[in-house]
Amino acid sequence: MITLSDIPARGGTPFTLPMGLFAAVLATAPFWLQWVGLYQYLGVEIAIWILFAMGFNLLFGYTGLHSFGHGAYLGIGAYGFGLFQKSVEVSLWGGLLAAILAATVAGAIVGAFLSHRRGIYYALLTIGFGQVFWFTAMKLHWLTGGEDGLLNIPRPDLVIGSWRISLNDNTAFYWFVAVITAVAVLLMWRVVNAPVGRILQAIRQNETRARFVGYDVWRWKWLAFTVSAAFAGLAGGLFAMAQQSAYPDVMSLHQSGVIVMMVLVGGGLVSFWGPVLGVVLYFIARDVLGGLTEAWLLWYGLIFVIMVMVRPEGLAGLLHTTAQRTAPPAAVPATKPEAV
Amino acid sequence: MTSLVPHLVNGLTLGLLFALIALGFTLIVGVMEVINLAHGSLFTLGAYLALSTIGAGWFAGTPFGIWWLELPMASRYFIGLALGPVLAGIAGMLLELCLRPTYGKAPLYGLLLTFGAAIVVEEAIRLIWGTGERNMPVPQMISGAFLMGGLIFSTYKFYAAGFAIVAILMVWLFLERTPYGAIIKAGAHDSEMVRALGYDLARLRLIVFGFGSALAGIAGMVMAPIWGLRPHLGIDVVIPAFLIIVIGGVGSFWGAVAAAILVGMATGITGAYAPAWSLMSMYILLIAIVGFRARGLLGRRSALEN
Amino acid sequence: MVLFQAQGIQKRFGARVVLENISLSIEAGTVHGIMGPNGAGKTTCFHVLTGHHAPDAGRIVFDGQDITGLKPHIIARLGISRSFQLMNLFDDAVVIENVMLALPAFRKMGSSPFRATFGDSRLTKAALAVLDQVGLADRAWHKSKDLSYGERRALEIAVALAAEPRILFLDEPTAGLGAKGTQALAQLIRQLRRQYTICLIEHDMRFLFELADRISVIHWGQVIAEGTPAALQANKWVARSALGAVA
Repeated sequence: MITLSDIPARGGTPFTLPMGLFAAVLATAPFWLQWVGLYQYLGVEIAIWILFAMGFNLLFGYTGLHSFGHGAYLGIGAYGFGLFQKSVEVSLWGGLLAAILAATVAGAIVGAFLSHRRGIYYALLTIGFGQVFWFTAMKLHWLTGGEDGLLNIPRPDLVIGSWRISLNDNTAFYWFVAVITAVAVLLMWRVVNAPVGRILQAIRQNETRARFVGYDVWRWKWLAFTVSAAFAGLAGGLFAMAQQSAYPDVMSLHQSGVIVMMVLVGGGLVSFWGPVLGVVLYFIARDVLGGLTEAWLLWYGLIFVIMVMVRPEGLAGLLHTTAQRTAPPAAVPATKPEAV
Repeated sequence: MTSLVPHLVNGLTLGLLFALIALGFTLIVGVMEVINLAHGSLFTLGAYLALSTIGAGWFAGTPFGIWWLELPMASRYFIGLALGPVLAGIAGMLLELCLRPTYGKAPLYGLLLTFGAAIVVEEAIRLIWGTGERNMPVPQMISGAFLMGGLIFSTYKFYAAGFAIVAILMVWLFLERTPYGAIIKAGAHDSEMVRALGYDLARLRLIVFGFGSALAGIAGMVMAPIWGLRPHLGIDVVIPAFLIIVIGGVGSFWGAVAAAILVGMATGITGAYAPAWSLMSMYILLIAIVGFRARGLLGRRSALEN
Repeated sequence: MVLFQAQGIQKRFGARVVLENISLSIEAGTVHGIMGPNGAGKTTCFHVLTGHHAPDAGRIVFDGQDITGLKPHIIARLGISRSFQLMNLFDDAVVIENVMLALPAFRKMGSSPFRATFGDSRLTKAALAVLDQVGLADRAWHKSKDLSYGERRALEIAVALAAEPRILFLDEPTAGLGAKGTQALAQLIRQLRRQYTICLIEHDMRFLFELADRISVIHWGQVIAEGTPAALQANKWVARSALGAVA
């Protein structure tokens, strides 16, 4: 069975088949989305959630720290963006930076409380913090608009040199989000294949040993949490631009649970690409299944429960097993598998 | 100063009911070393099932349903009080069966599974009974208010507190005085030993799950008139339950009861000064206690600390 | 010269006093043994000496530096390495990665997020060299969980070696090994002692008496006897504390 700790055959090079496929699908989506009966905005949502899920899996899959309250940082990012537009100035990069900064600061503070722990205490603390943030967003009417949310958030134009591109059209906005997501995924790929990625995985596998061979485990755990919050913040900022509003509901336990389900079902515990598959599957369930029955989340939840019971490797794991069945088994290597 | 008394009484009532929830929770954690995130959803499910029992539920319009609704409210209520939790207990046993593939694996999987189950149960509740707030009907004899010492008290809360005390004592009697209770207690301390002594651990786990879930279900029904009834109550139940066993110690009976009363009082008192924040006070308490060191007042180290 | 010294170590867990007054002194280049019955506090002693727990009283000095109460990762970086009785390996990773993670050169690379890991041949060579010392070089690319018990024991020590320590703390390295495994381990320790100072907890007294220069006997949280193997064999307290005779 594959694990995240498998050594990639071609080192950290981004020129792999899955990466190529990903880039191709991302680049061509606007051309075929409507052809398959979907719509452009869905592409935007999926790209944003891929960004969120990839950052989340750095913490969840790679470092083995289970956060059930991560929606809070998406929400903080969204509010950060919106409030910047309304209180400071209407600015694309200013807003996105504010989103990332707000979420990173929140993540850094929460991470400081969390990083002494792991396991169930860690998970429940993340729920506690998530609920506090959600509750605060609901109650601080003057800041966040409370339950009604922050409305009329503008989508600033993209200005590069002398070019001014309006992002009001969902297709143009999609390209903007897709580029950001692609860059983020590439960055993430480099990080997980660098020593950083291996160290985080060592911490997942055996915190004690990692400590006793000289790693400042607390600091690495804190870093993983903060970075994943930063990704969530960026995704949140883009989300605020996408729906042109920000609501507390993404910070609820329900929504935070959804990202966990997405990542596991996709195979985030065993594969870098798991979160991508998970996000796509979720949105297909929501839109396609949701079109057929009001109970789509119930079915999705049941699929999740069944997967945890029998196939926690998720979709990525299943694909790998199927591919293996059709290929001849490889002998155990005595030397490094492939030349770098 | 006198205005604090109703809040303290509220807090005490809440605490006693929390104790029922926490007892079910701690038994499950003790025997299985699984944090059952679905405990709150089963609490909610028990209440909704009782609600449907009191009304005609799925039998509305049928001859049976019509006959049923003609029975006095009190009888229907008390039958609901018995049936709702039993059904919740059965749901709990089903959950245990689903958990079996995760035993022996990392605790993550059990946690994820109960989390998924919580979402499934809550969605199911939402689909069957709707998203809106529902009211739990209460028989005439235990509703209304009464006067005591110059203050007005809610009859129902009085009854609820009394019920909780009786229930806690009955659970205690069961664990301490019956042979099966002794096995459950032993299992909560050392499940391996219990198996070595020849008891069927699988059956024990099933029963503990059922029993713990039934306790949650009955607490749900009794609390519904106080807390309201909505599909997504679950997490507001699990977090206090976890907080209580952390403070009182995993596997400790009186520790759970004492800690529950403490948490209930804290909620009741914040309810006096900042009602909007009373629920949040539990989350903040959780962060304060677990964010720093925590092994509880009366408990022992468990597999929760890895 | 005295490389490692513990003075008056006390450790309490709640009301239970596990270590009452532990003092020991380890000369550089020697093998120092720690023995005692179960529950005597040997592993707790190790935990305190290597920084896992801070002592309630007492001092720990390493090469003239007071390391009392320092965090485990700092202590590890100072040159103190340990292996564990219940093995602590990185089970999802391949054998060579287990060792690589412990290399200080690798650890220092951690701060640069964009280096490629397994492409660096210096690191691979260094890791293979360590594996060679314990005889696992030909299993380098296998998953650590696929190794036999004896091989995992060897890996457990290899990881401790990779951290480039000056003193090595081994907690019951023979646990679970058969006669052949124990012999191989004894051979390994004889080899390692040329480079490292070693402190060894052991139950297998014959093993300990063969290899150690000095032994501390711990019982009821105190050092009840200390000396060369020969001196201890003659000590009546050692015999009395039901440690049995060496065959």
